[in-house]
Amino acid sequence: MKSAEDLNRVMEAYSDLVRRICFVHLKNMHDTEDVFQNVYMKYLLHEGSFESAEHEKSWFARVTINACTDWLRYLSHRKWVPLDVIDEEKEVLDHTSRGILEIVLQLPEKYRNVIYLYYYEEYSAVEIADILGKRKNTVYTWLSRAKGILRDRLGGEWA
Amino acid sequence: MNAIRKSMSDIRASEELKQNTLRYLKEHQKTAKRATDRVFPVFRYALAAICLFLLFGTGGYAVYRKPVSYISIDVNPSIELGINRFDRVVSAEAYNEDGQDILSHVTLHNVPYIQAINKVLESESSYHFLKEDSLLIFTIVSDHSYSMIEELSANEFSQNYDTLMYSSDAFCMAEAHNYEMSFGRYRAYQELLQYDDSVTIEDCHNMTISELHNRVENCQHHGVTQNQEDTQDQDGSRHHGECHSHHN
Repeated sequence: MKSAEDLNRVMEAYSDLVRRICFVHLKNMHDTEDVFQNVYMKYLLHEGSFESAEHEKSWFARVTINACTDWLRYLSHRKWVPLDVIDEEKEVLDHTSRGILEIVLQLPEKYRNVIYLYYYEEYSAVEIADILGKRKNTVYTWLSRAKGILRDRLGGEWA
Repeated sequence: MNAIRKSMSDIRASEELKQNTLRYLKEHQKTAKRATDRVFPVFRYALAAICLFLLFGTGGYAVYRKPVSYISIDVNPSIELGINRFDRVVSAEAYNEDGQDILSHVTLHNVPYIQAINKVLESESSYHFLKEDSLLIFTIVSDHSYSMIEELSANEFSQNYDTLMYSSDAFCMAEAHNYEMSFGRYRAYQELLQYDDSVTIEDCHNMTISELHNRVENCQHHGVTQNQEDTQDQDGSRHHGECHSHHN
């Protein structure tokens, strides 16, 4: 069982990471709150130890992605395009960011994961494969296809 | 900073979200701790005695033998598992040749159901059907189907393959068995029937589960339906006649 200090530390360190992964998967803030709490509850009950800060961070990324997928399955929301979340963030997003995120959120779920982990968290394809439990070549394929879709929809200078 | 990174940099966890979560964890910490603590030895012995009584006492064996939940596994092999209240497999039935082939090579009786599904998927006979892009369909008939779906979703096979999970009901299962079909395959047939009423049960017998699912998806994408308006209710579950299912 983790201490209050541990919880406060991981809350400060990974809350933005968890929030952003929820953002690319979930439909609204209500769902985000539930998954957010589930992820930190899993940490609270996690009995293993982490080899390093990077290991801990990738654990949070993996657990959050899995929690979002489970949540979507549970609610039968899997096929929904979660654009409501953009409206909920309209106060902090400028016009350009809003446009890019609308395209990103319309990508299939597996592409959203790799795009977020690659472009925002700057993980390598090998690290992403490890987090998602997929083969390296699968991640390369997804990344390449996702980039192709973004290039088509956003134009050449998108990244 | 690339454009995607920039667009996401303003998405942050609010103080409110963080504080609500910390409050939630604090409230549930004691309960969670209690649940993870080891059971006091005296209670463990008492629990073991009760289990033995249930197993071997009057009627206990009948309780153990009685399935209370069912899972239909459709890959292309179609297999139905009957599961007792201790989450162990007490019956296994194949509904096509591929399924029969698997059941002739693996023993599933008295095995915890998650372990049994792993045995099915890891059997040599399944090797021909399971590729990286294979579609696994699990359909559940149970009073606690949602918790079973959660348990299945957390398992490794759900991460490794494209997995769909549905819940169904005893009526649908009985109808399926009249047609000598697993209730998972029958649920897919019922879904296809909503979009294409020319499809017959014989057609369905001759299709793989992937073909059935692809036809449903094609119909959904092309908006082909005559019953669509009255088959979708608020929680997203679809109904056809008396036989219904929920996609999870």
